[in-house]
Amino acid sequence: MENTNPNACGAMEGSLPGKCANLAFPYIPMQNPNAERYDQAQALAAGTLFPGLNLPFFKAVKSKMNCANTALCELMAIGFAINELGLYLDTHQNDKEALALYTDYVNLAEEGRKRYEAAYGPLQQSNVTAAGYTWLNDPWPWDFAEGGKQ
Amino acid sequence: MFVYEKRLQYPVRIKNTNPKLASLIISQYGGPDGELGASLRYLSQRFSMPYPELKGLLTDIGTEELGHLEMIGTIVHQLTRDLTEEQIKSAGFDAYFVDRTAGVYPTAASGFPYSAASMACKGDLIADLTEDLAAEQKARVTYDNILRLSDDPDVNDVIKFLRQREVVHFQRFGEGLRLAKDRMGEKNIYFINPSFDH
Repeated sequence: MENTNPNACGAMEGSLPGKCANLAFPYIPMQNPNAERYDQAQALAAGTLFPGLNLPFFKAVKSKMNCANTALCELMAIGFAINELGLYLDTHQNDKEALALYTDYVNLAEEGRKRYEAAYGPLQQSNVTAAGYTWLNDPWPWDFAEGGKQ
Repeated sequence: MFVYEKRLQYPVRIKNTNPKLASLIISQYGGPDGELGASLRYLSQRFSMPYPELKGLLTDIGTEELGHLEMIGTIVHQLTRDLTEEQIKSAGFDAYFVDRTAGVYPTAASGFPYSAASMACKGDLIADLTEDLAAEQKARVTYDNILRLSDDPDVNDVIKFLRQREVVHFQRFGEGLRLAKDRMGEKNIYFINPSFDH
């Protein structure tokens, strides 16, 4: 399909690898359906669900995600997978396989939220637990008990 | 409307204070290519988008950027906890300290406070989405630069994640632009602005 004839494309078109495209318009290829995927924990660590989009900076290769096997980390991982697949669906709304996976993730996250809230308290103000109004309890997301000074 | 969820998108656990590094990373809070500008850009541009997939994309990425704003604020906060007198006076942080103490204020690292002049909302889908592609690349470069300047692995782990999100968002905005072009379906896509001319 490689286009070698410069006149094969129309007057308002230029050549791309494999096909012609309009001039004066930026070209970014659509991500293909059924692209390879990480599992949720790997996806969170990589910052993307898709190995094909994982394009790290050379200096960053040594760092490692600091998240143990806790209810919070599990929730972050499944929440991230939902977030990432949601953006994919915004531009691939007819990908039925991705939608089925998205639905699975959402159901998994529902269970994960319950586990998290039972252990650590509400994720949203209106989720009052058996312990009473615990929304105000520390820690807040920006708190980290270890550290300070150097 | 928005509902707050009491967690971060990605874990931020920084053990060592480093006020000088905080005074650089603050640029992604309120600087020219920071997360505040990103969320305001996308959440503002969406009002004039003519097609549902673009309304959705800008809403969803704009919302994610608010979560990134919170992560950057968290990094700055954790880097400036329990400062010693020596650290307050350290080069690179004393100028910030005199104005803000250890508060997290939306400013560029250069000291210029957050300005909406660093973002655009043109009311034209081609102009706005092309702006968004550039914005994601500019944020990506700022994160590259932070990785060049920082040697704290706790910080770099989070910055690496945020940087990767810029790459993914760039891809999605590019796809959004292509979908819009297909809908416009004209020989000359610049013939009208579908956000405005009907």
